[in-house]
Amino acid sequence: MGALGRFFKDINKNKAMLIMVLPATLWFIFFSYLPMAGMVIAFKEYRYSRDGFLASIIQSKWVGLQNFKFLFSTNDAYIITRNTVLYNIFFIVLGLVIAVAMAIMLAEITNKKLAKVYQTGMFLPYFLSWVIVGYFAFSFLSLDKGVVNHMFSWFGIDPVNWYSDPTYWPIIIVVVFLWKSVGYNSVIYLAAIMGIDKSLYEAAMIDGANKWQQIRNITIPMLTPLITILTLLAIGKIFYADFGLFYQVPRDSGTLYSVTNVIDTYVYRGLKSTGEIGMSTAAGLYQSIIGFVLVITSNGIVRKFNKDNALF
Amino acid sequence: MIRKKRKFMPALTLMLVMSIVLSACGGGKNEGEGTAEKPVELIWYTIGTPQKDVDKVMKEVSKYTAEKIGVTIKMNMIDWGDYSQKLQVMTASGEAVDIMFTSSWAFDYVQSARKGAFMQIDDLLKEHGQGIIDTLDPAFLEGSKVDGHNYGIPANKELPAQEVWRFNKQYVDKYKLDISKATTLESLEPMLKLIKENEPGVYPFAVDKNQMPNVPYDYIIEKLPMAVSLDTKDYKIVNVLDTPEMKQALNTMHKYYKAGYIPTEAATMDSMTDVQTTGKWFSDRATTQPFADNLWSASYGYPVVSTPASDALIYNWSVMGSMQAISANSKYPEKAMEFLNLLNTDPVLRNMIDSGIEGVHYKKTSDNVMENLPEAKNYDMPTFSLGNVMLTYLNSTDPANKWEEFKKFNDAGKEAPLLGFNFDPTKVTTEIAAVQNVKEEFWAPLMTGTVDPEVYLKRANDKLKAAGLDKIMAEAQRQLDEWRAANK
Amino acid sequence: MSVENVGKAKSRDFHKLTPIWNIGFHSVAGIFALLCVFPFLFVTIISFTDESTLAKNGYSLFPEKWSLEAYSYLFKAGDQLLRSYGVTIAVTVIGTVIGVVFTALFAYAISRRSFKYRGFFAFFAFFTMLFNGGLVPTYIVVTQLLGLKDSIWALILPLAVNAFYIMILRTFFSTMVPDAIIESGKIDGAGEFGIFFKLVLPLSLPGLATIALFSTLGYWNDWFNALLYINTPNLVPLQSMLMRIENSMQFIMQNSQNASLSMGVLQSMPQDTSRMAMVVLATGPIVFAYPFFQRYFIQGLTVGAVKE
Repeated sequence: MGALGRFFKDINKNKAMLIMVLPATLWFIFFSYLPMAGMVIAFKEYRYSRDGFLASIIQSKWVGLQNFKFLFSTNDAYIITRNTVLYNIFFIVLGLVIAVAMAIMLAEITNKKLAKVYQTGMFLPYFLSWVIVGYFAFSFLSLDKGVVNHMFSWFGIDPVNWYSDPTYWPIIIVVVFLWKSVGYNSVIYLAAIMGIDKSLYEAAMIDGANKWQQIRNITIPMLTPLITILTLLAIGKIFYADFGLFYQVPRDSGTLYSVTNVIDTYVYRGLKSTGEIGMSTAAGLYQSIIGFVLVITSNGIVRKFNKDNALF
Repeated sequence: MIRKKRKFMPALTLMLVMSIVLSACGGGKNEGEGTAEKPVELIWYTIGTPQKDVDKVMKEVSKYTAEKIGVTIKMNMIDWGDYSQKLQVMTASGEAVDIMFTSSWAFDYVQSARKGAFMQIDDLLKEHGQGIIDTLDPAFLEGSKVDGHNYGIPANKELPAQEVWRFNKQYVDKYKLDISKATTLESLEPMLKLIKENEPGVYPFAVDKNQMPNVPYDYIIEKLPMAVSLDTKDYKIVNVLDTPEMKQALNTMHKYYKAGYIPTEAATMDSMTDVQTTGKWFSDRATTQPFADNLWSASYGYPVVSTPASDALIYNWSVMGSMQAISANSKYPEKAMEFLNLLNTDPVLRNMIDSGIEGVHYKKTSDNVMENLPEAKNYDMPTFSLGNVMLTYLNSTDPANKWEEFKKFNDAGKEAPLLGFNFDPTKVTTEIAAVQNVKEEFWAPLMTGTVDPEVYLKRANDKLKAAGLDKIMAEAQRQLDEWRAANK
Repeated sequence: MSVENVGKAKSRDFHKLTPIWNIGFHSVAGIFALLCVFPFLFVTIISFTDESTLAKNGYSLFPEKWSLEAYSYLFKAGDQLLRSYGVTIAVTVIGTVIGVVFTALFAYAISRRSFKYRGFFAFFAFFTMLFNGGLVPTYIVVTQLLGLKDSIWALILPLAVNAFYIMILRTFFSTMVPDAIIESGKIDGAGEFGIFFKLVLPLSLPGLATIALFSTLGYWNDWFNALLYINTPNLVPLQSMLMRIENSMQFIMQNSQNASLSMGVLQSMPQDTSRMAMVVLATGPIVFAYPFFQRYFIQGLTVGAVKE
């Protein structure tokens, strides 16, 4: 009874905290953990039963790891994995540096009204759907009507057939991604900077620290926990790719697949004609597991250095 | 319907019971339901932009159907782009639906039938759907069988698919061209050349990424390079990309591309709507139906003429262009079939569903001709998706012999070799996923002539082979041989 | 407002940049902002361009001919558009409030070192970021277990909590709220909830404003839940209505080879300009709401300044 008694004592001691986590915990149970049971579909050849969903699951045939095979079976498997991971690494690193830099600049700019205007402006791309972004990219990159080729012609440079030449796309993809996401991400950092205790800066001023030293010795260290957490979370998503960015923006051009085909577009194209839920669930599970392993590993490393910065 | 033998552990049975409770499927049938006094409600999902007056019209429809067959109708419209996804989720989760639209191009009929979304209606059709059997061209029901059974009622409309060369009449007249000379892809060349030289800014041959040269083959799966020749005797499945016809067509396309007849960015263009709006095109290819020229001209706002580019052939996909199926978990399958029977045979019901309430949404100007009233904008339905189109009233602009011409067109259609055969991809889904990706990589650039087939055909074929095309073809061949043996 | 001004004036005293840096920062941030705003301006111009001019000349900053056609197409829906705005606003406001409360409570609890199960609950939340059961199981829980089909709650609840926000907010709480404050609250005899509401929340305004902003944007931009759960036209939110049109246009264009389809419906479809008009209508209000959130960042600064 000792263990149980201690347990109840703990519960009682943490009563207030447990009440606080209760609403969201219930939400997670309903909207995340209950549906997770559906992951079993990844190992099934899912067929419908007229008696409802659970009956469908039970009656569907087990197929083991068959549903996962399409992710590994071809030469493309290497390309899509490489593309997904490499792009994400660039997104994480560049996104972080630029968003933090932008946030610091916005926080330092003395004219707060203008800073507000800039921040609002940077936010706008977040609202445009990838379809629309795709149109814009096209209005720049179109072979005969595009702005870029137009400008090239002024300088006597030969027009480039952008949508059939893979050379430039890694850069285009990264630029478009950053353009769309930096404004959004810098909000988080900006808020964190705003929350830093001003007395720290005052103390630094008194010590004669210049702006750059203040940023390096106060702002950045204060942002480190946030940067760590966001990076850890991003690592968990390293096997996921934004479908619209890799599908709509390159206009699904076949000649560009060597640099634009990622796991998500591969799954989409591959399952278009057969529509197997089992296989799409399998793809999702594969992405989740890899992400999970990576986060657990990197979280462990972070914990070694600083326990407070770790996720859990 | 796919039903597995039930053999599960008690714990699973408990879950099953729970699921039945959850999905509220437990309601038993009461005696005396489905009469004019106590009608049953049928839930019907169909495709199209949701219309404001659907509920209003369905109220009238329900009055009529309650009287006739003891059902009321609840229609839910799902917009074009959302339909497939929504219906897939709904059927996979076992939601209560009675009737749903399905087709070869939205909410895939064969696939969903195989997964168990629809009720098998062989017997129901005989018992409660005699009217349908009498009205429909037999090729419709025959061609829409999946593994030997019917799972849906095709709409009576144009049955075969015929390709035509379309021309912008403005330029045909200006240069006094004889379009009857256009037969093959190659025969277009002199005209394209003339336009290219004399009309800068006009696309001589408007091709987008969805287009592909018309070769005399019947595809196993749409746009996957496996097919049998149209005049096949031995039903041998070949790789279309290896055939002399395709090679020739691709060479021609590439020649046209290099000559500037084809838009430079054809391989990434989703559609030609912009060009069609401005009329800056000379020719293209399209699928036709009787009086299509009138419709095209009306919708573009300038005259369009066409001339046949292929025979009228009945394909699986042309038969399955628009169907209504009964859900596997429908509580009232007989009633649903009675309703579908009425929908396909009763002009009053069919026109009410199509055009709304007489005197509100439309008025009749003669026995079978109607005119839209202003209110029609609140009830503008896609006619072809809602059953037998040949029962619908004509518009004042339609020729009086419209439906006779449709019948003639249907009668003239020849059956494609694979009509009625549906490939079951279950055993090769892995390979199909890989082959699809390779296909998408090469298809549009090749088919639009953007790349040199001498180089890219080989590359594409090598990659297709590596992805497992041969295995799919072998499996398809096996199924096809079995099917032929069973259908001799 | 006056407090804000004091805070600003005060912060300016020690927060000054050298003019060169100031100009440098201004130009970098300004140019980037301009690059971001430009397409949006472009969208607005296109939405007022005449359709046939657009088809002829392509996108242009100075169209030959202007037109209100695109908007009249969208306003034809009339009361539907207004109702959709109403639904979106209601969903956004209610959802953001619920979301922020749930998120803040959970995040605060797991940010506290004294909470014995913080590790477990942090993991409990984090795990949901990576693993999910997919569309169909979620659909079943929402429609069959919770019975939310065709209800406004089906638009609110599925988006209410998000582990990502919890993780961000937890970090805010643990970096911005010094333990000393909580300890001082305890000494004053306040309960955990008292400390949370009276001491912690006021200090965490920038963090809360960020979460509220993200949550608002999430609700505002959501169209997928409506696609899944809503059939009644009266409950269709704005984005969903516009996305439906956009998706359907794409779908029909891609299936333009289909004779019956293209002949039946193509002509009634809106064109490019309407699509752009949709973006303008859907984005305009939320863009104007943005400065409102920003005020809280500034206020956060003020609180920080007053604190010492």
